[in-house]
Amino acid sequence: MTIAVRAESITKTFNGTQKALDQVNLSVNHGEVLVVMGPSGSGKSTLIRTFNGLEAIDAGQLEIVGIPLDTDQDERQIRRIRRRVGMVFQQFNLFPHLSILDNITLAPIRVKKVSKANAEQRAHGLLAQMGIADQAMKYPAELSGGQQQRVAIARALAMDPELMLFDEPTSALDPERVKEVLDAMRRLAADGMTMIVVTHELGFAREVADRVLFMDAGRVVELTDSTTFFTQAKEERSRRFLNQMAH
Amino acid sequence: MSGSRPAYRKRLLQARRHPLQTVLSLVILALIAWIVWSTAAWLVVGADWSVVTENLPLFAVGSYPEHERWRPLLWLFLLCLMTATTLLQPLISRPWRIHGLALSWAWLAMLPIGLLLLAGGAGLPMVSSRDWGGLTLTVLLTGFSGLLALPLGILLALGRRSNLTLPRHLCRLYIDGLRAVPLIAVLFFGQLLLPLFLPVEIEINRVLRAVVAFALFAAAYVAEDVRGGLQAIPGTQREAAAALGLGPWQIQRLVILPQALRVAVPALTNQAIGLLQNTSLMAILGLVELLGISRSLLANPAYIGRHLETYIWLAGLYWLVCTAMALMARQLERQGKSSATEAIPS
Repeated sequence: MTIAVRAESITKTFNGTQKALDQVNLSVNHGEVLVVMGPSGSGKSTLIRTFNGLEAIDAGQLEIVGIPLDTDQDERQIRRIRRRVGMVFQQFNLFPHLSILDNITLAPIRVKKVSKANAEQRAHGLLAQMGIADQAMKYPAELSGGQQQRVAIARALAMDPELMLFDEPTSALDPERVKEVLDAMRRLAADGMTMIVVTHELGFAREVADRVLFMDAGRVVELTDSTTFFTQAKEERSRRFLNQMAH
Repeated sequence: MSGSRPAYRKRLLQARRHPLQTVLSLVILALIAWIVWSTAAWLVVGADWSVVTENLPLFAVGSYPEHERWRPLLWLFLLCLMTATTLLQPLISRPWRIHGLALSWAWLAMLPIGLLLLAGGAGLPMVSSRDWGGLTLTVLLTGFSGLLALPLGILLALGRRSNLTLPRHLCRLYIDGLRAVPLIAVLFFGQLLLPLFLPVEIEINRVLRAVVAFALFAAAYVAEDVRGGLQAIPGTQREAAAALGLGPWQIQRLVILPQALRVAVPALTNQAIGLLQNTSLMAILGLVELLGISRSLLANPAYIGRHLETYIWLAGLYWLVCTAMALMARQLERQGKSSATEAIPS
């Protein structure tokens, strides 16, 4: 099995003092689903944002889909990685001035130089897969949050990524809209997509994740398979967190 | 309207209680009526509109050679046609509506067409820019300076937000520098001083010099309007585009600028209208655009003392052109809004 993410004692400091990531070691295989959990401010978002170069690391070694990502942030290396790594944000971040179809085809056409016809055909397929085939000609503002997030997933998938990063994809959604997004992600995992998901959705983590990474204060507290994490977490900090989440 | 009746009754009752107020109101009403009446009477009977009616071609095209007059007139007609087409779009049913992009290109094409018609070439006899004038010259100056100022302003705005130190400081210096100088000084420099610095053989066309001066000046203001638009776009848009593998220029061109310019449309409309009115400063420097032609007409002994008529007519013309511009800009704003409002999540 090949390795999608390899992180060796990566460290990231904000404002010179605040350690967002402290000596994090992690290795994620292709085809694996990793859920990252932890209290807010624990560095989970920062961690996955280093994986596509949105945040630079200060020290350590990072290799994403086989491409090294050094501390000096070579722009070309980063773009090579970003072509192969999709990301879904908490606030969807669709482009409001483009139709749903144009949102999805923008990167394939401009970055991968796919023909417009092919890109659109693929976009329609992805929208159907996400259960929103009839929304292609609308604009983001006309869609519900759950629909917008599914478009965002389709937009990332349109680049045929080897790795998908999800940064709290359901945190900005109404409770009744969460399920439709999680269902789409479940199907993606079932198709064998490599996924790293920052989320507070315990049910999703329990059901879909192969492993769970629990973080606190920029450090890895526990990294274990999900059954073990939810039934017999080793660390006191993890157990306390799970207890709080259950209430 | 049913709700207003009791209020109206109440007022009447109040009027009975306050006779002084009532009298005062009536006096003011009478005064207004008298002013309106006498103005209307002067406009219709008292005023001598011959200065306008006898010189309509001059106001339109200036001293353009008479047998070639059809060329600027044709251009003005085309512009009116384009304005009417643009403004009527919302009333036209969908299948017959012209695509917004096609309309924009048609507007853009109006400028080279105008230049060709006015200057000549491609089979048309050449006409020196010394003979251009009137409304035609006003519109031409505004159009070309605006067309140059927009891309220059966008570049300045991008430069000012750049991470590179030198370009950022140069752009700031340019913007702050030109905003600190009065427009008339820039125009004086272009028209009177620039020729002194250049060798005698090089004689740059006066209209071109004016266009460049206006464009350089307006670009500084456009840059600040565009910067305001750029600041309104959240950084998450850049992140989302970057995460898809788009390069820095692609991100600007495809994601950030289209949104920023939409935000900047009202401010840019302001600039365009300001620019149109500022072209009248060229009258002081000897170009016979709308104001220039009026001044030279008033110097004619036949029209002595016809200032009021001339300037009222002039004000009406400027008002008409500005209103057309403002209406079209509002339409542009509405279009931007209907296609994409901010995708702020619920």
